[in-house]
Amino acid sequence: MKMKKKINPKEGFIYGLIGVATLFTIGILVFILGFIFSKGLPHVNLYFLTSQFDSTSAYVDVKLSEGSQNPLGLILEETTIKEKGSNEKKVIAIKEIEKTSLGEDAINNQGQPLALSEKDIINRVNGINVEGKSVEEVNQILNSINKDTVTMRITKQGGGIFPMIITTLMMIGLSLLFSVPIGVFAAIYLVEYAKPGKFVNLVRFATESLAGIPSIIYGLFGMILFVLTLNLGYSLLAGALTLSIILLPVMIRQTEESLKAVPDSYREASYGLGANKIYTITKVVLPTAVPGIVVAIILSIGRIIGESAALLLTAGTAAKIPGSLLESGSTLTVKAYTVAKEEANIELASAIGSVIIIIIIILNALSKLISKKFSKI
Amino acid sequence: MENKFSIKNLDMYYGDFQALKNINMEIKPKEITSLIGPSGCGKSTFLRTLNRMNDLIEGVRVEGEVLLDGEDIYKEIDVTKLRTRIGMVFQKPNPFPMSVYDNVAYGPRAHGIKKKSELDEIVERSLKRAAIWDEVKDRIKRNALSLSGGQQQRICIARALAVEPEVLLMDEPTSALDPISTLKVEDLAEELKKEITIIIVTHNMQQAARISDKTAFFLNGELIEFDETDFIFSTPRDKRTEDYITGRFG
Ligand SMILES: Nc1ncnc2c1ncn2[C@@H]1O[C@H](COP(=O)(O)OP(=O)(O)OP(=O)(O)O)[C@@H](O)[C@H]1O
Ligand SMILES: [Mg+2]
Repeated sequence: MKMKKKINPKEGFIYGLIGVATLFTIGILVFILGFIFSKGLPHVNLYFLTSQFDSTSAYVDVKLSEGSQNPLGLILEETTIKEKGSNEKKVIAIKEIEKTSLGEDAINNQGQPLALSEKDIINRVNGINVEGKSVEEVNQILNSINKDTVTMRITKQGGGIFPMIITTLMMIGLSLLFSVPIGVFAAIYLVEYAKPGKFVNLVRFATESLAGIPSIIYGLFGMILFVLTLNLGYSLLAGALTLSIILLPVMIRQTEESLKAVPDSYREASYGLGANKIYTITKVVLPTAVPGIVVAIILSIGRIIGESAALLLTAGTAAKIPGSLLESGSTLTVKAYTVAKEEANIELASAIGSVIIIIIIILNALSKLISKKFSKI
Repeated sequence: MENKFSIKNLDMYYGDFQALKNINMEIKPKEITSLIGPSGCGKSTFLRTLNRMNDLIEGVRVEGEVLLDGEDIYKEIDVTKLRTRIGMVFQKPNPFPMSVYDNVAYGPRAHGIKKKSELDEIVERSLKRAAIWDEVKDRIKRNALSLSGGQQQRICIARALAVEPEVLLMDEPTSALDPISTLKVEDLAEELKKEITIIIVTHNMQQAARISDKTAFFLNGELIEFDETDFIFSTPRDKRTEDYITGRFG
């Protein structure tokens, strides 16, 4: 006989609530991702990822290739660019560069190579202003040249996020450089050396409290200590030092957990063979704990990528690749914040947001994969 | 014959709890000594005082003397040196999560041997002595955790032998193994006895009777009886020993 399952009204109500809450959560997630991706993803392409944010202009010399139908090898097009104050302006831009073109070997007026690339705007040719002219008119000017080099003023269009990607990578590298060794050593001390008691409890209480403090507070602290007192200015270094402090509690906790997860039987076996403590820690305990530490590092990377408040106050908002540790630079997240806030450019902010979300999803998948792979041992 | 170990008036405390009470015992070299007794009577504790493994535990206090070849191990011998002279095999096989080779080479490396040819030789010799060479010689670079429990235990024995100990302490080395692996470890112990002294904790009366020369019966932290294995199992002097080995107890 088949038992018919009866759901009483009270259970039904609870099931209903659980279902609604679950759907609500998933719904919000899907909505956010959908919103950001639909606004942002159309703007994400290779050009967006690889070009500068600010536009730059320069005079370049380009050699003409001999014996070619189109000696300059440039195919031009008319486009419009937005100027300040949302005026639109018609300009001539490079649509395509032919294989025979020597545009790749162009030299700027300081004698350094500055390759022409697609989407570059041509402002002047041999001193003639070509702005507002049509493609035919410009081609005519170019064809009438009878020297073997042309001098052009070009403008490399910005709008890309390459500097922010590089700054983000630099920020990740530098912050981890400070926080990983300190975090790992502190965790080793707490797990392997410190006698359990008041002091360890105090350290643990301190790290846990530090983990709960909002990052804007760290930002203020970093600004006062690193930017002002130590006179580092808004810089990569000040930002990375501040981030390291933010990362330390998580780094320590996570490493502690993975050290504690190393079975004592490994330690006993090592001591039983006459190995000393340092040897035991470096050869058995740490290597066994590495997967956990790697997960901690990946979580930290996620935190660095996601941080905005603390970096705004310490690393500033420059939209270029910092030339040194003491120069300002903005990470992807900081840039998304500033373009949304200061330029009200929601499309651009969403495009950066899409890139950030994709990176975070990849990092999460990576940390899952690592913990899964190593939990088998 | 000189004693390998002379234990005199040994008391051992975990904090306030006295786990060993006035133990006196002489252990001859190149013999197998079995330690038997009900759970919690202090067998493991006693074994671990012999290589100072208890030093790792907070609040442990040891009184009395443990002499190894006449030297007090708590006063006259450096603890890392001591542990190379006295190897230990644990109840649960505990190979490191690394290759068979690295497991066996661990001890020698910890004591500064770096030369590959020397290590190769030690690894092969130790695996042969632990009667596992034929089974693993083709997968010496494989992770030791991929082997069976019985093989893992013999890897652990090989790892202990690699530092050339004079004494091997074994704490219920076969309790996690199947009968065939158990027999292999027992045969191995009898083989090793030609060169080294073995002290083995076991809950298996047959095992104690089969392989050991001497048997010690512990109860509540006291050494009740210690004699030739044949005597202990045929004509025990103490009623409590008799009750225990005939299974009327604990
Ligand atoms: N780390 C420790 N701290 C405090 N007491 C302990 C500790 N280890 C063991 N003891 C106690 O010491 C006594 C002897 O324990 P021991 O492990 O030596 O027994 P055993 O004879 O090996 O038992 P078994 O046969 O179950 O392994 C027990 O009462 C146990 O509770
Ligand atoms: Mg025990």
